[in-house]
Amino acid sequence: MKKIEAIIQPHKLEEVKEALKNIGIDGMTVTEVRGHGRQKGHKEVYRGQEYMVDLLPKVKLEMVVPAGRVDEVVRTLVSSARTGKIGDGKIFLFEVAEAIRIRNDDRGEAAL
Amino acid sequence: MIVEKPRSSTAHPNGQAWETIRDAFLGSWDARGALESRTALVDRIVTTTYETLLGPVSGQGVAVLAVGGFGRRELFPFSDVDLLLLVESQPSRELRPALSAYQQRLWDSGLRLSHSVRTVGECTELHDSNIELNISLLDQRFLIGSRPLYEKLLARLPKFVQGERQALRRHLCRLVRGRHAKHHDTIYHLEPNIKEAPGGLRDLHLLLWLDKLHTGEVEAPYGYLEMEPARRFLYPLRCWLHYRAGRDDNLLSFDAQEEIIERPLLPLERPEQWMREYFRHVRAVHSAAARALDTVESQGSSLLAGFRDWRSRLSNADFTVSRERIFFRASQQLENDPEVALRLFQFVARHNLRLAPDTHRRIGQYLPGLVEYFSRGRSPLWPALREMLGLPYASLALRAMHETGVLHAVFPEWRLIDCCVVRDFHHRYTVDEHSLLAVETLEQLKTVREGPRLRFAQLLAEIEDPAPLRFALLFHDIGKGTEEPSHVAGSLVAADRATERIRMPESNREMVRFLIDRHLDLSAAMSGRDLDDPATAAFLAERLGTLERLKHLALLTYADISAVNPTAMSPWRLEQLWRVYLVAYRELTRELETERIEVAPGSPEMEGFLKGLPTRYLRTHTPSEIEAHLELDRRRREIGIAVDIRKQDGVYQLTVLCKDRLFLFASLAGSLSSFGMNILKAEAFTNQQGTILDTFAFSDPARTLELNPTELDRLHQTIERVSLGRVAVKELLKNRPWPETPGKRSRIEPAVSFDNEASATATLVELVAQDRPGLLYDMASAFSEAGCNIEVVLVDTEAHRAIDVFYVTHGSGKLDPSQMDSLRERLRLACLP
Repeated sequence: MKKIEAIIQPHKLEEVKEALKNIGIDGMTVTEVRGHGRQKGHKEVYRGQEYMVDLLPKVKLEMVVPAGRVDEVVRTLVSSARTGKIGDGKIFLFEVAEAIRIRNDDRGEAAL
Repeated sequence: MIVEKPRSSTAHPNGQAWETIRDAFLGSWDARGALESRTALVDRIVTTTYETLLGPVSGQGVAVLAVGGFGRRELFPFSDVDLLLLVESQPSRELRPALSAYQQRLWDSGLRLSHSVRTVGECTELHDSNIELNISLLDQRFLIGSRPLYEKLLARLPKFVQGERQALRRHLCRLVRGRHAKHHDTIYHLEPNIKEAPGGLRDLHLLLWLDKLHTGEVEAPYGYLEMEPARRFLYPLRCWLHYRAGRDDNLLSFDAQEEIIERPLLPLERPEQWMREYFRHVRAVHSAAARALDTVESQGSSLLAGFRDWRSRLSNADFTVSRERIFFRASQQLENDPEVALRLFQFVARHNLRLAPDTHRRIGQYLPGLVEYFSRGRSPLWPALREMLGLPYASLALRAMHETGVLHAVFPEWRLIDCCVVRDFHHRYTVDEHSLLAVETLEQLKTVREGPRLRFAQLLAEIEDPAPLRFALLFHDIGKGTEEPSHVAGSLVAADRATERIRMPESNREMVRFLIDRHLDLSAAMSGRDLDDPATAAFLAERLGTLERLKHLALLTYADISAVNPTAMSPWRLEQLWRVYLVAYRELTRELETERIEVAPGSPEMEGFLKGLPTRYLRTHTPSEIEAHLELDRRRREIGIAVDIRKQDGVYQLTVLCKDRLFLFASLAGSLSSFGMNILKAEAFTNQQGTILDTFAFSDPARTLELNPTELDRLHQTIERVSLGRVAVKELLKNRPWPETPGKRSRIEPAVSFDNEASATATLVELVAQDRPGLLYDMASAFSEAGCNIEVVLVDTEAHRAIDVFYVTHGSGKLDPSQMDSLRERLRLACLP
């Protein structure tokens, strides 16, 4: 099993969710986050005053999928979240040691 | 299945008895019977266990008392059994094991025991940190044990209560305030806790205890006895909730609401209808509790009383202020002059004062008269409502209007959302509460001094008239109480009806309609639009039209989201909303010059007039205003110039149409300054025929025009002569008094920025400077002296800050870097105070 963590643009959330649903991925955790990548923020000028915008709103999706489906899910994420511009986000993959369903103690992929 | 189970693994000897009581309740919904039966059963368990375990070793040293709900014989299923073990002295080494065994046996019997061991002395002293002990003794009842010991307590308890009555009441109120605050001081939760939330059973108990602590001649002055209908509703509801959950669970969840509508307590078709009935009962309890708290707290310390007496100086011909509460001066005031009701709420909104219980009562008595009076709509109500909505504590006044029923009398449309439940995962409150909370949230922005909310606080400070914005918040969700498929459409219908009845002027109605119609636009853009895409900016600019509308809508969105639940306006959403605001703001200021009207609607005459004006002109002016401008253009064509000055909403509007020439805009600004006028906003456009259309909004700080009608004619003539180049403005300005130089700390340093990308043909120059009379003239002159032609101007002021955007050309093209450098210095000097 692998955990997939994707940081995407907020306006892409619905599109990404829909694309994942179409390949049978329904379960995920969505968090509103703020952060920045390589740009390290930028300066905005509003009414003659400069201020630093260092943390931009993004959305973080987390899901755990069977190892055999990782490539398909990542491809779906990339194609649905991409705009081609700076700030489209990132995807991170992690190994998962175990998954346990609290309700009935199911283990492993059965708990996903 | 609903079964009360013993808490230990031991088989419970009274299991059948619990089930019999439960079955009897679920058959009859007789809560009182169920509670009494449960109390009797527990009485029996407690006493027989005592006889077996404690009695033989305690002698006359222990008495067992039922206190709290158990003492009142109101033992709800799965609730704590409150026991007081009254002891002669601190338990001896021999007695302690017996006391432990007694408690353990009671636990093993399936009771959830909540006990304390106290001496008579401990029971008759004030426990500041455990006032619940003192309060629970108000409901004490002897069960078994040493009667002489109990009588010792009985002999001392009344004296203690009498002596500490004030302190007990004060502590009780403190506890209640704290509990209410945990539930955000509102009864209108979509999933309420029927015991702890305001208006719940704990508030009923408050009334009971205050009545018990009262020693005057009037019996039960706090109204516990009048709450019988609410009690008859809430008791069986709580019983059922506990049986349903199999534990002491007082949350009336969405699932529970789905089920309760089919039960005999109040069979209804939909949970939303059922919840309205629930809120009506709870509102009665909450109102009585609020009055009780008010009464007790008004008998406070002398220092506070002194301050409150000082506030009584606010009394006027209509109202008396006493101890921070407002009273009517005369008993028949409402009957003789129903509009005093509106003056009353203006008074609340101005002074941050609450109504006295007596004032509440009088309004309640005359409410049908007020409903009838306001429904006739004989006099325009908007001026009075506008004043109230523009005052600093308008939200307090609106809440008081809601509580007294006057809000429904003035706006019957509000009945649609009275206690209206809309099932939504994110929303925590009923629609009426959400709307009032939104107004409150907006008001609280005024106190923000730092942090990311400060940006919105500054936007609020820029709103000249907050009344339409607050009105729109009151009406934005009313459609949720209608059958309309889109609640926005329902809200618009209701708002139209109301604004027509109260005779709101068209300019305000237009803003209210816009805000309600588009109140979801910015939220939708926050989550559904790519904010870096120029198409989003263009879309927003098209939908919003003007900066004024954008500011209003950003604030409305801020208040709307914040009032969904206490954490809805997260830092994430706040940042997103601000980004949306900035995207739209930039586009609205950028598009001034770039987008020109190519094909104009209407007659050839109209087309000739409109062609070449910025596209925003069509969006920022109503058809009647455009028609009026065309009429002025006809006059211009006859005599070469058309000038119109009129007063609207406390501000003067000057419109000038004539052929363009060098220094014209600066000359017009200078003319107004020479009369001491303060320019608030200005726009300057040119159409394809070379006709300028300049508009100025200005105030008259010295009331020159108001006090000297002939001065208005003189200003009119001066503007005409200046426009035609017959008078030199410099001559007019010779005798103008210079304004005082602001102190260093409050001075705003001039900022000049150039943007050559914003427009295809002109350079955008944005200036931010300390506002002062004559500033616009000086800046416009600096442009003209530098040989620049002003294509478009948008002038705005925010408090002492002037924010002006000019689109300028030099020799029909954009400015080059050296021209920018030269102009920057000229403008900087022109902006100095």
